[in-house]
Amino acid sequence: MKTRAFHVDIDCAQLSKEGCQVCGDVFLSRRIKEEDRIIAVMSDGLGSGIKANVLATLTASMAITFTLEKQPIDRTAQIIMSTLPVDSKRQISYATFTIIDIESGGETRIIEFDNPAWIFIRDGKVIEIEKERVNVVLDGGRERQMYLSHFTLERDDRIVMVSDGVTQSGIGTNDMPFGYGDDSIREFVCNRIIEDPTVSAHELAKVVIRKSNANDIYKPQDDISCAIIHFREPRRLMVCSGPPYDEIRDKLLAEMVRDFKGKKVVCGGTTSQILARELGLSIDVGFTLDDSGLPPASKMQGIDLVTEGILTIGRVAEILETMQGFEVIGAGPAVAICKLLLGSDVINLVVGTKINVAHQDPSLPVELEIRRNVMRKIARLLEEKFLKEVNIQFI
Amino acid sequence: MDEKKIEVLVCSGTLCYLMGGSELQLLSECLPPDLRGKVDVKGSPCLDFCNHPKNGRPPFATINGRCIAQASVSLLIAEIRKEIKG
Repeated sequence: MKTRAFHVDIDCAQLSKEGCQVCGDVFLSRRIKEEDRIIAVMSDGLGSGIKANVLATLTASMAITFTLEKQPIDRTAQIIMSTLPVDSKRQISYATFTIIDIESGGETRIIEFDNPAWIFIRDGKVIEIEKERVNVVLDGGRERQMYLSHFTLERDDRIVMVSDGVTQSGIGTNDMPFGYGDDSIREFVCNRIIEDPTVSAHELAKVVIRKSNANDIYKPQDDISCAIIHFREPRRLMVCSGPPYDEIRDKLLAEMVRDFKGKKVVCGGTTSQILARELGLSIDVGFTLDDSGLPPASKMQGIDLVTEGILTIGRVAEILETMQGFEVIGAGPAVAICKLLLGSDVINLVVGTKINVAHQDPSLPVELEIRRNVMRKIARLLEEKFLKEVNIQFI
Repeated sequence: MDEKKIEVLVCSGTLCYLMGGSELQLLSECLPPDLRGKVDVKGSPCLDFCNHPKNGRPPFATINGRCIAQASVSLLIAEIRKEIKG
């Protein structure tokens, strides 16, 4: 089982321009597990609304794919620029981009084109990183300048990327006639990190968005996006569900749960009874129904959350599959599990493979899927959709 | 002297919950006035009755340790009355 020393926490928050349904900025990120590598791209399409979103989506998707294949930056830029559709009003094809490529061990390359300068923060202060100017000659002889940086991330370093909707927010108001500006956003982010050094990427990005929205007097004048990358100690979570195939392994399961350093969730009545028996603990069975329709959560000393098994994890898979963004809405045990999952970086799924004979009755009113399939689905969603590092172990 | 309360354990296992046990979690609220204060209703981890067909069909509950199969709120109230009468 591979264990990385650090985790890369990435999140992006966005607001669309007043009156637009779709944001014209696009942020994409991809974790390549085999190479222990992360690529993130922010692109701002020309104009706003659907047209801008299409330009930015095309740009971000191409940028990710070419970076993944380690194509040279000038070639990547050339292809992007000559592929984008031409705007009928302005007769140009255009979208900005910032590509961040983080390799194993923190080695980082950033390529930026026409976005506000990305910000590098270490120990609550902005550190200036040397940037190399790269001239790219496009079709028709037009020249564009891009900036390339190369450095190594250390623990607790942060990279902040914003669209011009942030730096230009508040433009034309009495307080900031020329907009919020690069310096103000740097100071704002640093102050927030000094206030709370453990602030998550999700929370920090949201705070920046809220501030920009307030600068625009709650009517965003442009699409607003902020992405944060935080290189930090991983938050670990163990989710244990199902009894082991062989009773001899009950003790092993209990030891794994007891010795795990991180938060612990147990899903399953029999599983929790095995742990209670092996570890000499008692279970306080929940008896208060909520509107989730799931059996209530129980309590056990040393375990952060104890829930029912297959119905709850089935609902967890459903929530993860259908949710948009990173915000889990609602209440109940499945929502509580999702919140813990999304708040963690490295997730260990321990899946007992014993089949519950009583669940195989064909007259049961719902389909009780085999636990290992549901847990595999959860693992896949966490890895692919939420970029979590997931280890799954069948016992 | 305090009268000893009747102990009702409702199985919170998946199968019992699915087969109607979720309703039983409202038993305390559904007790008639004359039984209130005389009954202690609690949830229990799976009581393992479902793995032995001789016990009957879920949902299961126990009244002072006695297994009640296909439990419903009305059946449990009737059984509690029987228990009180002895």
